[in-house]
Amino acid sequence: MSVTTQNLPQLYRFCFLMTGDASKAQEAFQDTVREAALRSARDEPPPDRLWFFRDARWRCIAVSEQGLQAEPGMLEETEISPAAPMQIEQLDPDQLAVWISAAPEPQRSALALFYLDEFSLREMLAVLEMKAGELSDLISSGRRQFQAWLDATTPYAEE
Amino acid sequence: MSLFQIRSNHSSLARCAPITEKPGTDRAMRVAIQRARRGKKAAPFAQQQAFDGAVAKLVRAIPVDAQVAEWFANENLIPLVKRRWKKILLNPAVLAIALAVAVIGGVFAYRVHEHLRDFPGADKARRLLSVATSTRSVLLDPLQTDAGALSDLFFMKHRLEHYDIPPEFADFRTLGSRVFDDDEVHGVAQIWVVEKRMQFFLFPAEKDPKDGSVTDFSDWRFVELEGWTGAVQQRNGVCFMAAIRGREKDLAPYLEKRKQ
Repeated sequence: MSVTTQNLPQLYRFCFLMTGDASKAQEAFQDTVREAALRSARDEPPPDRLWFFRDARWRCIAVSEQGLQAEPGMLEETEISPAAPMQIEQLDPDQLAVWISAAPEPQRSALALFYLDEFSLREMLAVLEMKAGELSDLISSGRRQFQAWLDATTPYAEE
Repeated sequence: MSLFQIRSNHSSLARCAPITEKPGTDRAMRVAIQRARRGKKAAPFAQQQAFDGAVAKLVRAIPVDAQVAEWFANENLIPLVKRRWKKILLNPAVLAIALAVAVIGGVFAYRVHEHLRDFPGADKARRLLSVATSTRSVLLDPLQTDAGALSDLFFMKHRLEHYDIPPEFADFRTLGSRVFDDDEVHGVAQIWVVEKRMQFFLFPAEKDPKDGSVTDFSDWRFVELEGWTGAVQQRNGVCFMAAIRGREKDLAPYLEKRKQ
């Protein structure tokens, strides 16, 4: 499968979700695309679009390790609320990216890749190198943690 | 796998169900989604889908930096075309088609080449080569003389005019001869000679279907069939064929004799 300009915005968004910072996302994105161009010049082009996301993932992890780190700890979890879509509507994309980028690995990568809504389950498992059950648990707990965070920061009051 | 495990797997898959329908979704995932939509957990699953849809919508709203967008403008940044062509060429289906086309092309080229070498009367000559392969000496009338002397016999006894043996083969001693009518070739004279058990055939030349004319040729032309080779010459509207079990090179020494 070829990587066209249609896939590249999604790659950037992935980097942004992974880092929560536009400049770091830009750095990881550009390094990945540059590496792909170099490989193509050497007549060893990336085999598929998954390569881009796999490469960008490790670059994002490396970039995120520089600077301030989120403190590890148990996050509160809440069942998904019927009002969640309305709560999410009130958010900025930056807030979502900051929340996802603060999640521990590999949950951060799992959530970023899942919410891109770009890949099939099989492709996500290939990029993340994990089993379906693990991914399911990470996504599921991520949802409940995000709901708890939403309830704390963006409460929704029915009119 | 137990029923409990299958249910557990479906439930696990449903928790990471795709946010929007994708064409390449696995069967297991499709089943898990169907079960989640129809089962007891239909309401929580609908909430989960709405939650995921809202988050995905927010992700799509992530603005792409202008500096980054410049990278998207260059379509040739990652040229994968070369690899794609290689992949296509190495595809077994493409290889099989290419091989089949090559074989068909080869057969076609061989047929064209064979036809280029053909001459008027080549089909008759091939038919008589098949007669040569199956002829037994007992079928012929025993006759021991020089092959060149049979021209008069054919004319006097069978009214076959210009049934002359070319000088290259006129001195060969004969074992027997006969005149017969084939289904497709009439007035065929067959001579069996001692020399390498060769057989000579004399038969009427092929006429042009348009004007009935006959174009003679004095050079030797060749036909092959089932390990036999015939050297054919046409004079005065009569074809002469010297047939031998072997290849063209086996006849060559006799044909060159005249030139020397």
